[in-house]
Amino acid sequence: MDLQKIIPYRKLSLKELLVPENKFMALVAIVLTALFLIGVMIYLVHGHHAYGVTREHPWGLLIAMYIFFVVSSTGLCIVGSFGDVFGFKDYMAVSKRAIFGSIITILSGFAVIAFEIGHPVRMMIYNVISPGLTSAIWWMGTLYGIYLTFMVIEFVFLMRNDMKRAKIFGLIGLLVGLAAHSNLGGVFGFLNARVVANGVFYPTYFILTAFITGIYLIFLMYGYKYRGQPFPEDVAKALTNFAKIQGLLLAILMFFETWKMLTGVYGGMPERADTIMHILHTKSFWLGEVLCGMVIPFLVILKSKGTAIKSMVWASFIGMIGIFYMRYDLVHDAQLFPMQTLKIREYQLPPSFVDYFPSLTEMMIGFGGIGLCLILYFLGTKLFDLDSMPEHH
Amino acid sequence: MARYGMALDYKNCINCKACEVACKEENGVLLGADKHRIWVGVKEIEGEFPLLSIASNTFMPSQCQHCDNAPCEEVCPTHATYYDENGVVRVDSDKCILCSYCMNACPYDARYVDDRTVTVDKCNFCSDTRLARGEVTTACQATCPTKVRIFGDLDDPNSEISQVLREREHFTLKTHLGTKPKLFYLI
Ligand code: SF4
Ligand code: SF4
Repeated sequence: MDLQKIIPYRKLSLKELLVPENKFMALVAIVLTALFLIGVMIYLVHGHHAYGVTREHPWGLLIAMYIFFVVSSTGLCIVGSFGDVFGFKDYMAVSKRAIFGSIITILSGFAVIAFEIGHPVRMMIYNVISPGLTSAIWWMGTLYGIYLTFMVIEFVFLMRNDMKRAKIFGLIGLLVGLAAHSNLGGVFGFLNARVVANGVFYPTYFILTAFITGIYLIFLMYGYKYRGQPFPEDVAKALTNFAKIQGLLLAILMFFETWKMLTGVYGGMPERADTIMHILHTKSFWLGEVLCGMVIPFLVILKSKGTAIKSMVWASFIGMIGIFYMRYDLVHDAQLFPMQTLKIREYQLPPSFVDYFPSLTEMMIGFGGIGLCLILYFLGTKLFDLDSMPEHH
Repeated sequence: MARYGMALDYKNCINCKACEVACKEENGVLLGADKHRIWVGVKEIEGEFPLLSIASNTFMPSQCQHCDNAPCEEVCPTHATYYDENGVVRVDSDKCILCSYCMNACPYDARYVDDRTVTVDKCNFCSDTRLARGEVTTACQATCPTKVRIFGDLDDPNSEISQVLREREHFTLKTHLGTKPKLFYLI
């Protein structure tokens, strides 16, 4: 079978792969990937004991990083769809890169979550033979599996410049991706026990922040590609448009967040109001989520009306740090309030918020996932022509 | 089939922890594992010495509430958590993938990770041990010196638990969440 016939790729010499043009990025990618592997080895020896998670706080950094990656994937899928699914010509230039990005980010997410789920192999078996249809995790996992399949098929057709088929598979991929992603929000929304998470907020918020993340990432990809050079006209045009959309999206996000916090504290509902007040007293919320994730990029867009795309690259880098904090806080905040029924005064411990800090192993695997992503991206840019525009028939 | 529940005459509890020991022995819970399966909550004495309010010092045994509408069962992606024919909420350790979703969903902090099977476990009313052998009591109930625990079939109007629930006022924990616990605290 000739792979070339299925998906056109460049034949590479080993030298091209081993001598990357940017030594710094290569070093970052290799170090992070090495940390990932070391973390995995520690996990394989010690199991969950190598993590900082506890009975009271069963989900930690790895769940946050998984969400971080799949939000990125859904976001890039939305961004990529503008050109190839919806046929907006201005955005065509970024489609291939965005769709490729959506595939590698979700693969990195799966790599991270594989070491958080206690029995990933068993999961694949029993997800199929005894599906828990009332479980948001079941839907999320299953839909993401289907989504990945469609995204890969879409990418293959994109590379073959078969825009008609790419469009069909892209559309299905997008719809399944949105369903999967809102189900990931539902994983938290379904938690009756956790009053700050429970409700309709997260499923919609996940889609919104995915779109925002996708735009940040597309800026990072092109900012890196054209570092020190001017952007080509078509890319610049797409990016300027995306910057404007991003301004609107960030405004909506700030509006969402404001109302979440206001409804959270209003009426002083036990548990909920206490938890929200606690969140409002943390630096990771104000500096991480609000300042990095929303305000700085928003001001950059506002100041230039979206035209300062070089500054937007830096703003997007800061924005992604903010997005990380959004994911981390989301997971952590849901578990802040102790569930300990009737154990409250035991050993005279006053009721307090549940503590959690990621262990070194969790950090190695979680942040190491970024290394996997960078290596896959490097391979992708070498193997595939992610820039050529499809010919119009 | 029965619909098992438990009534707790918690004001009789003297915090001797015999139930915890019996449960560990019966179900093979690792020694030293704190608050696994069942535990006794302690409400400390209120007031400053010497003006202590002795009556404020109460002990409340707790455990999985065997919710009729169990969030842990609803969120489990692989049906590892299920209702058995007696309405007991059980975990099938062969199917559990340790996603910990149920631990997050349980409002009663009743679940823990068993270090031997590396899956989630919790109280199952001795379904694997005593009930499986055809006995009709749980280890904790059988051992309690002050008869705090009354275990039995809620659907059988003549069972001791049904009678006591008819006669005495009782409450359930976090009732507002709609989980319909089958553990009843007698007033
Ligand atoms: S108390 Fe918790 S573990 Fe027990 S049935 Fe209810 S939700 Fe499930
Ligand atoms: S940890 Fe096990 S029992 Fe709990 S939800 Fe996941 S698969 Fe089900």
